[in-house]
Amino acid sequence: MSEVIVITSGKGGVGKTTSTANIGTGLALSGSKTVLIDTDIGLRNLDVVMGLENRIVYDLVDVVEGNCRVKQALIKDKRFDGLYLIPAAQTRDKSAVKPEQMIKLCEELREEFDYILIDCPAGIEQGFKNAIAAADRAIVVTTPEVSAVRDADRIIGLLEANEIRNPKLLINRLRADMVKRGDMMSIDDIIDILAIGLIGVVPDDEKIVVSTNRGEPAICDSKSLAGQAFRNVVRRIKGEEVPFMTFTDDQGLVMKLKKLFGLKAN
Amino acid sequence: MEESIVSFKAKGNELILVMREEDDFDKILESLGRKLDSSGRFFKGASLDVRYRGKKLNGEQERIISKMIEEKASAEVASFKEDEDHQEQESSGDHEEPDRTRDKLRMRLLYFRGLEEGMTKFYRGTVRSGTLVSYEGNVVILGDVNPGGEVVAAGNVVVMGSLRGLVHAGADGNKEAIVAALSLQPTQLRIADVITRPPDSGQPKQGFLPEIAFVKDDMVYIETFLPQHK
Repeated sequence: MSEVIVITSGKGGVGKTTSTANIGTGLALSGSKTVLIDTDIGLRNLDVVMGLENRIVYDLVDVVEGNCRVKQALIKDKRFDGLYLIPAAQTRDKSAVKPEQMIKLCEELREEFDYILIDCPAGIEQGFKNAIAAADRAIVVTTPEVSAVRDADRIIGLLEANEIRNPKLLINRLRADMVKRGDMMSIDDIIDILAIGLIGVVPDDEKIVVSTNRGEPAICDSKSLAGQAFRNVVRRIKGEEVPFMTFTDDQGLVMKLKKLFGLKAN
Repeated sequence: MEESIVSFKAKGNELILVMREEDDFDKILESLGRKLDSSGRFFKGASLDVRYRGKKLNGEQERIISKMIEEKASAEVASFKEDEDHQEQESSGDHEEPDRTRDKLRMRLLYFRGLEEGMTKFYRGTVRSGTLVSYEGNVVILGDVNPGGEVVAAGNVVVMGSLRGLVHAGADGNKEAIVAALSLQPTQLRIADVITRPPDSGQPKQGFLPEIAFVKDDMVYIETFLPQHK
């Protein structure tokens, strides 16, 4: 049974593309055949984050316009088997693709892949409509900022209006020290407003910047906190029950995480 | 006159195959094969609605030609049948328009031949991400080409700056085309149908070292470009 999951946020810069790259890599690592589709036509990034930019020959627009077969546009990841990318076109715009074409493409991909992750562009216009057209599930990414939460709320409303029920929330770039000082919205504050199920909390992590620039998803880095958080998200997507990282103790963040993952067993 | 046994015409999205009525099928097939070998790449990946004129074909012959186009041109033949509105178009006396499109297509079926002396576009400024500079001739960029920017030319490409984006020289099939830049570090470099990219572990080059890329035996070679003192 294959699933089409759209990763969206409304606001830009909250980590949709980074999350897509990491979750996709994690799903492939856990043995599921996964394809990532970048729908941010004209402002593509997913290929850069995956480090596959220089392999692009055909893109999403070529596929929907029939310039090539779907297989020709699938870029195989250089590190992991079972992970593929369909990049967006850079020299076109969002109107080059229609929602019906996305549905047709995803139907074709369903036959071959376990998971189809769609990286949604920021905004609620044509690009968003394309991205959600074929989705079975949605992950809404937000950061603990009022503006991002406001946009996430709008997006959840639009998803429900488009019959994508029960979207899941991914809180990104949380800083436990700031939450403790009361300078940042806490997980509970955000859930109070958005009232949807949580699928993961990713702490703010410098390593993300490094891995994004290098084109290597942080999920491969066993030392990265964010990587660990993304691994948990992947397990939850696959239906496992995984406890959430809690940031309410007085202990240091690293200690808490170690305890959480059983590294401090002795 | 071998050329006239089979010829291509374009009409809207259709490809019209004109075959001489008096020649027999085998001769037409042989001529079409040669024509596709030399210019088939033009249609690569395309989905074609093929209509034919002149020679009457039976079902079996239609199938053979359709298969040949698919194999030799790596194009998909969406439909293949006799051109019905041929008669009325001829009788309407509107000769000018089809002739012009035929000439255009015939021109495009040949490679761009102006590598030494030919039409050239000069682009002044930086080719930024998302910009496509494309031209049916040579292209000179007086500036940089950034990652995400694309330069597609039927002829040579010369960049008077850093080439960091995607470049495609000889885009209509001419393997003699070259790419030269003051600093050559493209995301991807294509000449005709040969595609290369830099190695994954490559260190970015510092400073300006003019380089030239060309194709030999279907491989892209890159050489330092310095004036030859003789």
